[in-house]
Amino acid sequence: MIRSLLALVLLVTFTLPAHAADKVKVGVLKLTSSATLFVGVEKGFFKEFGVEPELVYFQAAAPIATALAAGQVDVGATGLTAALYNIVLGGEKIWVVADKGREWPGYPLTAIVVQNELYDGGLRGVTDLKGKRIGITQLGSTFHYHLGNVLEKHGLTLNDVKIVPLQAMGAAMEALKGKQVDAIMLPQPFPGTAEAQGFGRILAWGGDLFPWQIAAVFYSKKFAAERERAVNFMKGYAKAARYYHDAVLAQKDGGRAPGPNYDEVVAITAKYTGGKPEIIRIGFPYQDRNGRLLTADIAKQIDWWVKHGFMKSALPLSEVVDTRFLETALKALEK
Amino acid sequence: MTRLAVEDRTRFLIRRDHPWWRVLAVVGILVVWELFARIGWVPVLFLPSPIGVLREGADMIVSGEIAMHVAASLRRLVLGFAVGAALGISVGIAVGFFSIAEAVGTPVIAATFPIPKIALLPLLILWLGIGEASKVAVIALGVFFPMAINTYTGVRQADPLLVRAAVAFGARRWSVIRKVMLPSALPMIFAGLRLGAGTALLLLVAAEMIAVESGIGFLVLHAGNLMQTTKLMVGIVLLSLLGVLSHWSLNRLERVAISWRQDH
Repeated sequence: MIRSLLALVLLVTFTLPAHAADKVKVGVLKLTSSATLFVGVEKGFFKEFGVEPELVYFQAAAPIATALAAGQVDVGATGLTAALYNIVLGGEKIWVVADKGREWPGYPLTAIVVQNELYDGGLRGVTDLKGKRIGITQLGSTFHYHLGNVLEKHGLTLNDVKIVPLQAMGAAMEALKGKQVDAIMLPQPFPGTAEAQGFGRILAWGGDLFPWQIAAVFYSKKFAAERERAVNFMKGYAKAARYYHDAVLAQKDGGRAPGPNYDEVVAITAKYTGGKPEIIRIGFPYQDRNGRLLTADIAKQIDWWVKHGFMKSALPLSEVVDTRFLETALKALEK
Repeated sequence: MTRLAVEDRTRFLIRRDHPWWRVLAVVGILVVWELFARIGWVPVLFLPSPIGVLREGADMIVSGEIAMHVAASLRRLVLGFAVGAALGISVGIAVGFFSIAEAVGTPVIAATFPIPKIALLPLLILWLGIGEASKVAVIALGVFFPMAINTYTGVRQADPLLVRAAVAFGARRWSVIRKVMLPSALPMIFAGLRLGAGTALLLLVAAEMIAVESGIGFLVLHAGNLMQTTKLMVGIVLLSLLGVLSHWSLNRLERVAISWRQDH
């Protein structure tokens, strides 16, 4: 009995650290917007630099930030929410290290979808949303930020509409279908599905109305301290970002021009998300070819959350953004 | 005659009050909790310190945030509770007194009672809309069943001797219900109210997690979404206080309503 216990203890002590040392746990959502990570894993870009990522799937953006702070994952790749900034404000360290997706003109990601009847009745612009009930997932989410800024850009405020937090994307879709809300703001594939089923019309794409840094790659405190591996992970990521960019984001004469590896990236995304290729083809979110962040936009986001009472106080950029991992990696790749 | 000193061998059975231990238990937990947070064994983000929670609570009282959330929750709670209890008591009396109502009522109640009321929330939202009505309705439903079942049992358990005596003294149907059956069912009705109060609090939090902008349930969920854990704890403390308050006020009400009972 004692001997077997001892053996077990030995086994655990010798296998666990070794195991933890080679695998990097990456928290992602099963959405098209995680495509860069999927490409990196599938094409072996991370392995090329001695990093072995293990994908861990989550249901929403905010839990990834929590898991990062709790040390359950090493790397996170998801939306920038008020929760993330509040975690850092609460004394835990999370580093925003690279671009993982932007709302960008010409690239469909998130859309404002209105009820069919309202659209036919003449609701055609953002200013027409005044006084309407708009369904989103949660207050403090990327959708909340995006909608607020779109309204403010059009001379309205969040107080001019009624925000209805419905917790889940599916619930928001159902609420529009059941006419419980007048409009919703959701990412693909929901807007496309709403139009296909005939109960909603896309009023506008978020990226056309207000471009911003919606998603990023984050490092946990522990992973960021392992400088060499952290930089190596970025080397793989930058390579994946270039591959992704050239395959699906390239533009020619004002329209999207699929690159030579377009079908391959669609197939990889379909494999990892379980989505249908024809829906994935509708659009990939934009991101920088080298994975560089819009650092100034992060400061803008923090200011906005503070101004609207979702963060107690502002956070200096140096406490939450660290682009040196990526810059070092990019330099190494040039050699 | 000499007195013999006899050892009281039932002494270990005496259950004494330990007022100091009560206070010590609560204070002790709070102190250990605060220490944990101070030493830094548990990050404050995951387990906010009691003093931090108090400070946050004070800030929220000053800003009026707490008053706003508590008022919204209390309104839903009181309305749902009143509607559910009134309906439950009326149905309980009817089913307990009239044989046709009993024949119709018991199988219907037996079939619908076991449904977890939270499961009906999506349906209620579909029927009554996303606004206040669906929230009040789900609380009313949760309160209705324990009230109806307890009232029914209470009415059925009324002493037949008392009923016969009342009839012998010339009481008519309504007098018997009002003067004999209802009072004798009162202890059961109050037991039902207590059960209902617990259920109501549970359903309140669940209902306030969908499409609202105020209320304690919203406060808890929203603070969790934003990872403002101290605020979240304030919400949990408020819920605990609300539970204690409803228990206390039901006790007071019971003492007034059943003044002839001596055992409490």
